[in-house]
Amino acid sequence: MNEDTQTVTPETLMQLRKNQPRFEGLESGHRACLGCGEALAARLVTEAAGPDVMIANATGCLEIFTTPWPESAWRLPWMHSLFENTGAIAAGMEAALKAQGKPTKVLAFAGDGGTFDIGFQSLSGMLERGHNVLFVCFDNEAYMNTGIQSSSSTPHAAMTTTSPPGSARMGKQNLKKDILSIVAAHHIPYAATASVAYPSDLRKKIRRAMEIEGPTFIQIHSPCPLGWGHDGADSIKVARLAVQTGLFPVIELESREMIGSMPIRNPKPVTDYLVLQQRFRHLFQQGDVRAIEELAHIQALADHNIKHFKLRGEGMDAQDSDGADTVCRGGMRWA
Amino acid sequence: MESKLTRGGFAYPGTTLVYKTGSWRIQRPVHTHRNAPCHSACPAGEDPQAYLALLDEDKPREAWELLVSINPLPAITGRVCPHPCESVCNRGQYDEPLAIHSIERYLGDQALAKNWAYPVSPAAENAPHVAVVGAGPAGLASAYHLIRHGLQVTVFDELSEAGGTLFTIPDYRLPREIVRKEIERLLDTGISFKSRHKLGREIHLPELQQEYAAVFLAPGVMKSNEWSVDGVTPYDLHEGLHLLKQWSDVASLPAMKSAAVIGGGNTAIDIARILNRNGVDTHIVIHSSLPDPDKPAADDMRAIPREIEQALEEGVQIHDHHGVKRLILRGEKLTGIEILRMRKLPDEEGRLHRVAFEGTESILHVDQVIPAIGQVVDAAGMETLLDGKSYFSVDDWGQIEGKENIYAGGDAVEGNGGTVTEAIGNGRIAAEAIAAKLRQQQLPTINKSEPVHFNSLNMEYFEPSSRVEQVILSVEERTCETEIEGGISGLQAAHEANRCFACGNCLRCDNCWTLCPDSAVLKTNEVTFDGSFYVFDYDYCKGCGLCASECPTGYISMVNE
Repeated sequence: MNEDTQTVTPETLMQLRKNQPRFEGLESGHRACLGCGEALAARLVTEAAGPDVMIANATGCLEIFTTPWPESAWRLPWMHSLFENTGAIAAGMEAALKAQGKPTKVLAFAGDGGTFDIGFQSLSGMLERGHNVLFVCFDNEAYMNTGIQSSSSTPHAAMTTTSPPGSARMGKQNLKKDILSIVAAHHIPYAATASVAYPSDLRKKIRRAMEIEGPTFIQIHSPCPLGWGHDGADSIKVARLAVQTGLFPVIELESREMIGSMPIRNPKPVTDYLVLQQRFRHLFQQGDVRAIEELAHIQALADHNIKHFKLRGEGMDAQDSDGADTVCRGGMRWA
Repeated sequence: MESKLTRGGFAYPGTTLVYKTGSWRIQRPVHTHRNAPCHSACPAGEDPQAYLALLDEDKPREAWELLVSINPLPAITGRVCPHPCESVCNRGQYDEPLAIHSIERYLGDQALAKNWAYPVSPAAENAPHVAVVGAGPAGLASAYHLIRHGLQVTVFDELSEAGGTLFTIPDYRLPREIVRKEIERLLDTGISFKSRHKLGREIHLPELQQEYAAVFLAPGVMKSNEWSVDGVTPYDLHEGLHLLKQWSDVASLPAMKSAAVIGGGNTAIDIARILNRNGVDTHIVIHSSLPDPDKPAADDMRAIPREIEQALEEGVQIHDHHGVKRLILRGEKLTGIEILRMRKLPDEEGRLHRVAFEGTESILHVDQVIPAIGQVVDAAGMETLLDGKSYFSVDDWGQIEGKENIYAGGDAVEGNGGTVTEAIGNGRIAAEAIAAKLRQQQLPTINKSEPVHFNSLNMEYFEPSSRVEQVILSVEERTCETEIEGGISGLQAAHEANRCFACGNCLRCDNCWTLCPDSAVLKTNEVTFDGSFYVFDYDYCKGCGLCASECPTGYISMVNE
């Protein structure tokens, strides 16, 4: 470190980079947008899962921005599958490793398109056959890579290029698919949701899934500044509000039963979350009665989540929506 | 690794590290150390968040050493300072402000109990020698800081003991053994103390100027303002500060059944509380108002609000917005005073002046009236410096205007609030200036930047936590001797230190490191040049600003490239 100029030399930086006190499966220099929630989620996942893992990665943003030919941001064995066959590829990798007697865990990475829609059939097969694979869905609620088309994960009333608001409709008409229940219905041992806004909770769940022999599934809510239309600096804020409003329930299922949830200490109004995002801007148009109705509808969905998943906290809890991201001097996070 | 295209589309694999995404950036994050509000508000110049950080790391001795590098008398100020730091503490806008004064007192008391040595070494024999006149808080603080700067110091005081005004503060607020212990330890750092040396009697200014490289004057305000009602005074008039001194020296007071104290400063409150404890029916008559959190403080009594509150609890009757109209005398003996309501109102030119309201007169049946309306500098021996004025006029560094190498501080300086803490601040600043001058160095720049505003902190990362309160004796338990406020335990101090937001400073919480989507924040083992534990790798930082918005303490800001 050069004190005179108060700058850090490239050599020192590289030395530091090599000696970071955590495992980094995803290296810098990838081409994700500013404030990308998915890039952060992928790094957090590999940090908790690595280093003895192999990845099958569906087509999508994550695949594109981490591997601009001939470079790779991955510091792990990584394979690009097609959009539709990540489950099958991961199952094959797992079977091959098993045959060789190797303990390496296989991870399957896919976006919401590769999980909810296009890759769903092979995912279902993989789950049904009981492969020892951790399937991670980076849920950014639309086909961001191809130009923000609606997926079955896109929430109700959101604007995408295939669900534009106008005289006929107010954004996407249908509801966000409850993928966690569908996945859990395959009788798998562990399925959970997590959010990039709560990294300790996310890492804890990855570690939990890594310990389990058999198919496991984690859905990570990952804001997309470009597709959702918010400032990259607000990615964490937006993700946190999705949890705090009740729109994205953070829960854990074991054998189809809910065994845990992140309680919400003080539920926030959904407008706090929606107003930060351009994809919901038509809901804030003055004098449009449909907008008022849609806002009420989304609030009702959040209230329903809170009731259905019993998310309302009882007083202060160190692991609730306000306590789970508490920091302290020295950086000792709880997970 | 260099990528090389060959036939068949083969290329050597390379990591994305070869691609510097930093070129995308239009704004960069930077670590910006900013003043915490507590630091900006401290009249002594302390940076409470810095020693709270050390205490939070379970380093109480280092915390104390950092504290005394600014204020060498924490056991004293921890008890008597009105702690403006707590009024501005950002935590006050979240739940309750940090109990900074309790921590300060805890650290001071720990040092006394464990006899921690002040982190200074005595000056070299050939170092320049500075004279300090007055061994009150300002004089002692300047002496200590001069020693810290490697200068020799001699402190002169007319009394037999160092401490000055500190001894007029009643024992129930500031026990004298605490004052003695802390000052004794302070003098042991190599300060030479000459008692019974009064300026104009044993020592003289011209000689001091000749014999010493610089002079710091902290004589306090020893002369009471004249007081009378239309030229009339009772024959047995006792002045407030004089009574306090008498009480402090011999623990006795003139016989009286009831008294009216005139004035609203700390002297008025102190003497009123002591009279009240001695069974005297005590009234305070003051033309300004009682402090009210809901009203602007412009016309408030000058005493510390906490002391006013305790005085009221104990039964002292305060007649605010009242003035004395007439003394009722039988011969020259007082039998009562006539008071009436007053208000501060603007005149035709908008200037505030006091207006008395006819028809609001009432009689207080008291046999003593005790003025405590402030004091001025006793000019003896310093006539040439004062030039007929009541206080010294000094510049930002404490130098008396137009006088080379003569500095002044404490209550004797014009515009001072009359607190121990402010006096200590004056002493330190003058010592800095003297040291720089004698070494022919540049004066350090005074950091007057805006403190971190509550809005630049991120409250998502903190949890509510209740403030530690000192144990306070009930009104029935209070005496003249026993200290009213108890200290806090080590556990309580640790709890309190943990509540600090570390406004404008690195909390080392790992947020930036954990949340950077581009792994462009690198963690370091040792503290970096900017006082944090992280460096930005601008080769890869895309400038998204996530670290800045999620930094809990407002330590990271985004600047344009």
